[in-house]
Amino acid sequence: MSISSQYYPDEPSAPTVNTTVIPGPVSQKAIADLGKVFDSRTVYFVADYEKSLGNYISDVDGNVYLDLYAQIASIALGYNNPALIKAAQSPEMIRALVERPALGNFPGKDFESLLSKILKVAPPGQDKVWSGLSGADANELAFKAAFMYYQQKKRGYSTEFTPEEEYSCMQNQSPGSPQLAVLSFERAFHGRLFATASVTRSKPIHKIDLPSFNWPKAEYPSYKYPLSKYEKENKQEDDRCLAIVENLIKTWEFPVAALIIEPVQSEGGDNHGSSYFFQGLRDITLQNDVVMIVDEVQTGVGATGKLWAHEHFNLSPAPDLVTFSKKFQSAGYWFHDDKFIPNKTYRQFNTWCGDPARMIIAGAIAEEIVKHDLVEHTAKVGDYIYNGLAKLADKYPKDIQNLRGKATFIAFDLESQNDRDNFLYQLKLNGVNCGGCAENSVRLRPTLTFENKHADIFLAAVDNVLSAKRQ
Amino acid sequence: MISRNYRSLISKNSIKRYYLSVASDYFPNEPLKPEIISETYPGPINESKLSELAKSFDHRAAYFVADYYKSIGNYIADVDGNKLLDTYCQISSIPLGYNNPELLKACSSKEMQVALANRPALACFPSNDYESILKDGILAAAPRGLDKVWTALSGSDANETAYKAAFMYKAAKKRGNSKFTKEELESVMDNKSPGAPAASILSFDKGFHGRLFGSLSTTRSKPIHKLDIPQFPWPRAPFPSLKYPLEQYSIENQKEEERCLELTEALIKEWPDSIAAIIVEPIQAEGGDNHASPYFYQGLRKLTKAYEILLIVDEVQTGVGASGKFWCHEHLFDPNDPPDIVTFSKKFQAAGFYYKLPELQPDQPFRQFNTWCGDPSKAIIAKTIYNEIIKKNLLHSTKKTGDYIFNNLETLFNGKFFQIVKNLRGKNRGTLIAFDFNTAKERDGFLLECRKNGVNIGGCGDTAVRLRPSLVFEKRHADILLNIVEESLSKLY
Ligand SMILES: Cc1ncc(COP(=O)(O)O)c(C=O)c1O
Ligand SMILES: Cc1ncc(COP(=O)(O)O)c(C=O)c1O
Repeated sequence: MSISSQYYPDEPSAPTVNTTVIPGPVSQKAIADLGKVFDSRTVYFVADYEKSLGNYISDVDGNVYLDLYAQIASIALGYNNPALIKAAQSPEMIRALVERPALGNFPGKDFESLLSKILKVAPPGQDKVWSGLSGADANELAFKAAFMYYQQKKRGYSTEFTPEEEYSCMQNQSPGSPQLAVLSFERAFHGRLFATASVTRSKPIHKIDLPSFNWPKAEYPSYKYPLSKYEKENKQEDDRCLAIVENLIKTWEFPVAALIIEPVQSEGGDNHGSSYFFQGLRDITLQNDVVMIVDEVQTGVGATGKLWAHEHFNLSPAPDLVTFSKKFQSAGYWFHDDKFIPNKTYRQFNTWCGDPARMIIAGAIAEEIVKHDLVEHTAKVGDYIYNGLAKLADKYPKDIQNLRGKATFIAFDLESQNDRDNFLYQLKLNGVNCGGCAENSVRLRPTLTFENKHADIFLAAVDNVLSAKRQ
Repeated sequence: MISRNYRSLISKNSIKRYYLSVASDYFPNEPLKPEIISETYPGPINESKLSELAKSFDHRAAYFVADYYKSIGNYIADVDGNKLLDTYCQISSIPLGYNNPELLKACSSKEMQVALANRPALACFPSNDYESILKDGILAAAPRGLDKVWTALSGSDANETAYKAAFMYKAAKKRGNSKFTKEELESVMDNKSPGAPAASILSFDKGFHGRLFGSLSTTRSKPIHKLDIPQFPWPRAPFPSLKYPLEQYSIENQKEEERCLELTEALIKEWPDSIAAIIVEPIQAEGGDNHASPYFYQGLRKLTKAYEILLIVDEVQTGVGASGKFWCHEHLFDPNDPPDIVTFSKKFQAAGFYYKLPELQPDQPFRQFNTWCGDPSKAIIAKTIYNEIIKKNLLHSTKKTGDYIFNNLETLFNGKFFQIVKNLRGKNRGTLIAFDFNTAKERDGFLLECRKNGVNIGGCGDTAVRLRPSLVFEKRHADILLNIVEESLSKLY
């Protein structure tokens, strides 16, 4: 029996759309009500999670959509997964919710077993974790770890701070609060708090009017597709981008302590980089004492056909820090070098230091993924979708351009933003909830229990929408 | 084992009330006193658990490894079976005691399971019940005059999203009705002005607002939080340093507050066109439980209005009842002239900020945004907490317990320990009470001694002890606390 039928014997066999517009009238009213107290302008529709199941999300108008967006790429196993419901009912969970601990000060006795479950799915080369609460939080915690590491390396791990450092940091000035940079890439997305917004380079709307750190921005390669046809050109592009990185590190007006990069730039348009490029970055960061942070917030947890997308690159040595959130439900960073634990306590610290309730869910997700081989499964389903889309691309070459991706982590471009937005809306009316990224891209972000039977529905809907568009 | 002369402190009246107390209602099996059963403290299991944990987690800040299954009411259990009366409560973040039956019920509900198993991207696909969860919980608790909310995930996150709202508000006001210019749109992608302006948030010396990059830039309590981290060059004003007892120093203290207000105004003038908001705590908690009077806070409110700067009050640590009012700033502000933004987290379990001005919601969607935009499971807990506080009248009981603790500590400290312990403060602020030792070492020694005697207490600032019990901490718990404080001081001095 297929995994989705095991988990979800009652999963719908097809979407249902009852309304002629989306959001439908009930959603519209709920959005207006919510809007009085909570910014609801970004709402696509108001969902009914109790009725959602597996790969299908229900809304308050009774529409049921096949979901390829999955809460902005953050649902791993599908809605109301029985293993997660079980975890949610467990005594550990209830404990974690009722008695939320300040983990750094008063960890609970089951915390260690919780961590060890999570650590079982750590990326190759990583065996420690520090927890946060969201993607942006995970990245900023990683930056803090990197800055402290960088300065400690310079100063000596156990060397005491000077009085001047202690004094100046209270004024937000160097040497205590040094000028150090995190290098990021054009079109990157790493979050929307102040340091993460400084390294996010995808769109002005995320950044405008916020004070920002004066940090360098390199270029992420832009390949020509199909890759097999443009090997030489694309390698030249890699070399060009690597040279820019190296040059920025060497010439920036103050030291670059860390570099952050996504294995696939997701919000910025599903831009892929090669193994050659990533190994090149690993070499440059090592040679220049720059901490390498890989942001797996969106790419992590199986969707690319590896548990962690950067496994595709076989990096040697492993990156210093790998951040995660979204589909893992718990956030934070993986690491392996003890020196990333600051020399003194309370330097990497906050009230909660993570959330055991979310760690329990993460542990259950990890267990299910391993037990059911869902990464392998996703790789196969991804191939199936890709081939289906490739055929449709032959049929609609203007509407499915630059088809790219690994496993189900697939994207393609339409001709314009307007076209893309229309396409996504029409897909919804055809019962498929799908997301966009960058200006004119469509990205697929289904769960790890998405199967060929779901893919068929999706592909038929795409065909339907595009053929209607032609007429 | 601890001695039991706390009996002497318990009046007849309190024995009678004991059976009527909310705590005994909630927790019929709550221990009657702390139990220290391990031969050494901390105990041996604790030590071995910690070293296991050390392999994958930075455990060095851990006081002890807790057993939350066995913790109950105001008592926290550790893995060695010790039960401590808890006046620290997960750094001030447990409102209703451990194992509270109403929270257990809420957390076993279907609603909760759905919220946990299906975490939504709230701003894109909110659940059908999110509005009512907010309305009956977080929003029902809103400070007077602030009727909208944006949800976040922690204290730091709440403050940073509030800063973002302030920066966008300020820029939009300057821009008027016009759109972003091409220059702004281009410069911001290089992190340069005008798109990324050199705007700032003014904070106060000894303030604590979190540890991410924006919030850390406004945290001014201790170097250890800030060292080696790049920060924004934002202005810092002095916070009043009051002398105690207040009654004795009213003239000096008012002068001190005037001085601070004047220097704040001078800073505002020195940083023209830069300061989007001022952030201040109703009591500077991490920085040492520093108080200022209504005069100071209302002075700040006047200043911020005069200079068109937003005023953010950080209630992350002081909010949700511990002061005897739901929000501590209600002790300090003119009810008709509240702050612009109030941030919360900790004891509410859910985090975020309240606001009034519709313009604090940015002019375009996706500017104040992220994947999760909060957490419905925590909003459900917040709703339960709010309802219990109201139903059981916990604001009133917290005020009474606080007054009782304060008066007894005053008597105790005015007696033979008057040279050891000073600056007792927090009168009329519920259980948000603090006092100082002469040195950090003396303070730390006192805290450890109290733990050995069965009370978990926290410190703050350089030399302060702060009380942060739950809202179901009652007179009989206070008696145990008072007794152990006295005992520990007697043993040490
Ligand atoms: C790669 C990446 N990093 C970080 C983030 C930020 O995560 P969050 O929205 O949870 O702060 C995102 C969110 O889309 C992301 O895609
Ligand atoms: C007043 C205040 N603001 C903000 C914070 C930061 O909260 P968190 O640790 O949840 O980020 C704290 C934490 O102690 C606090 O006391």
